[in-house]
Amino acid sequence: MSTTWLPCGDYHQSYREDHAWFQTAFIKGKMFILAVVLLVFVPWLADSYWISVCNQVGYTVLGALGVQLLIGFCGQVTLGHAAFIAVGAYTSTLLILEFPWPRFILDIGLAYPISIGAAAVVAGFWSVLFGLPSARVKGFYLILTTMAAQFITVDFIITQYVSQIGGRGQAFSLPPGTIKIGPWVIDSDIKVYYMMIVLSTLCIMGIANLLRSRAGRAWVAIRDNDISAEVMGINIIKYKLLAFFVAGAIGGVAGAFWISNLAAISPEHFTWFWSLWLVGVILIGGVGSIHGAIFGSIFMVVVMELLQLAVMPLAGEYPKLLMDFLFVKEAAFGLAICIFMIFEPNGLAYRWWQVKNYFNLWPFSY
Amino acid sequence: MELFLMALTTGIMVGGIYALVALGWVLIYKCSGVLNLAMGELTLIGAYTSLGFYSMGIPFLLSLLFSLIIGLILGILTERIFLDKLIGEPVLTVIMVTVGLSFFFKGTVEFIWGVDTKVFDPSVFPIEPIRLGPLIIGQVYLWSFLAAMILLVIFVCFFKYTRWGLAMQATADDEMAALSLGISARFVYAAAWAIAFMAAGVGGTLLGNINGLNISVGYLGLLVLPAVVLGGLNSVPGAIVGGIIIGVLENFSGTYLDKYFPGGVKEIAPFAFMAIFLLFKPYGLWGWERIERV
Repeated sequence: MSTTWLPCGDYHQSYREDHAWFQTAFIKGKMFILAVVLLVFVPWLADSYWISVCNQVGYTVLGALGVQLLIGFCGQVTLGHAAFIAVGAYTSTLLILEFPWPRFILDIGLAYPISIGAAAVVAGFWSVLFGLPSARVKGFYLILTTMAAQFITVDFIITQYVSQIGGRGQAFSLPPGTIKIGPWVIDSDIKVYYMMIVLSTLCIMGIANLLRSRAGRAWVAIRDNDISAEVMGINIIKYKLLAFFVAGAIGGVAGAFWISNLAAISPEHFTWFWSLWLVGVILIGGVGSIHGAIFGSIFMVVVMELLQLAVMPLAGEYPKLLMDFLFVKEAAFGLAICIFMIFEPNGLAYRWWQVKNYFNLWPFSY
Repeated sequence: MELFLMALTTGIMVGGIYALVALGWVLIYKCSGVLNLAMGELTLIGAYTSLGFYSMGIPFLLSLLFSLIIGLILGILTERIFLDKLIGEPVLTVIMVTVGLSFFFKGTVEFIWGVDTKVFDPSVFPIEPIRLGPLIIGQVYLWSFLAAMILLVIFVCFFKYTRWGLAMQATADDEMAALSLGISARFVYAAAWAIAFMAAGVGGTLLGNINGLNISVGYLGLLVLPAVVLGGLNSVPGAIVGGIIIGVLENFSGTYLDKYFPGGVKEIAPFAFMAIFLLFKPYGLWGWERIERV
């Protein structure tokens, strides 16, 4: 997917403009409106149900960004990303619950922010560990090793060992008031929402910036053809592992963020299904664009909520539909992936790009 | 020693069932190049349909036959509706379509039959174990192994001696040459999917007889992946040997490693083994080594 064209009559006059984040005044205005809508109108107009849907979208975006980086930009297919999200979530939870924090850090409410950072680092290194086989294998074989990562991490290490720490058995629950950033205690959906906006903005900007740096160009070269990338002098092992680190770190942030929304953290939140769901999200959104991760997340979460709303009226006649909604959702998700792959392999981001270009070039598309 | 022998025989017998399912997987890959992640759900569908027929009071062999026929129809339909349109698409696209299919099938199966464990009632095979010297083997294992072996032989004969089987072999070997000889590639793809559906259905039914049938039988479809990787993705003998090795490995780790790593080491061992094995021999025991050129 190439870059968006500028409206006719708009030209760059310096390299600085060429690389600017927001290329025209119009785009700046659009971004400002987006920020106002996200920060003011959505919390103001939406009720708590839709806010929690928004939070779920944000969590999916954070998780899908790492998958997008690995699959869409570096070409390393991963089917085990939920493992890294789980590592992040558990690192953060354990740090908050078990680590002997000094009094003053607790008082100024830094424990949770620090644990988010720690979660990112730990999940990043865990991801590098399972990215190591990518030095030698690729394609389908790499898919298998990432699947192994999922089963070894979540189904074995976390379920059998990590869950036993502190003698709580299966699930960790965070006492209210422990998740605290500075003076704010994160205890309502609306606060989680603001945190989600901040975190996902940071992560999206971080990735977008990485992608236009040396590392980003190296990743794209590896994706397009790893042998020619190596011939051009790119240290492909280094950059593949870097991609795994960054993707794992964002997964860790996603996990550490999500514990603020969960009453209890247990391995069931990080199943293989969730890994596949994230891959499905970026495929539906569009592989190889950051928009893709966002559109895919919005589409999947909102469509599933709408499906639930659509099922409600039918529940009177077919109560099984609502009772087993989880399975209906699973089947619908599978069918959605198939249909998108067959009829719209470029994803939603491609359509967005087409529409945007149409209006940018209108009325003189030459 | 007895423990060792017990683990070995049980492993070989369960491995025979894995080999049967792995054969179906390799067949799809060889004939149409599709890396199928929906194998576990194919086993579920076959197992649940034969259970459904059996609990209606139809004799076991007949209900197995019916489920084979349904597998045949579903296999052809799946290939025609979904996979046929994806010939020549990138690998990830095709893999994700099979993932989508696996969700679709799994959701449907769970919706229709629920998630509770169901058993074949009355049990198909006698419960009394057979004693062979120091060994005690459940009859279920023995009969399942025998059934799997008979089916494997039937499939191998089908490929070696019938016209359709030879056509499939030719397509797997060189699609262009096969097309120019007048073999319909679309027919071969559909046949591969149909056979995979049937093999998986039999495998699922046998496994359902051993431990009862629930959604976790679909996990078998994932175990097939280590098996085929071990044998090499495009080798039929490799799939059979790989399946048996994975069965043995699973039982050994369940027997010996469980003391040191309590919990689900049995389920994880094949995957851990596979991840390490891939580092040293990425093309498996008998897979074709692919040389890449820019």
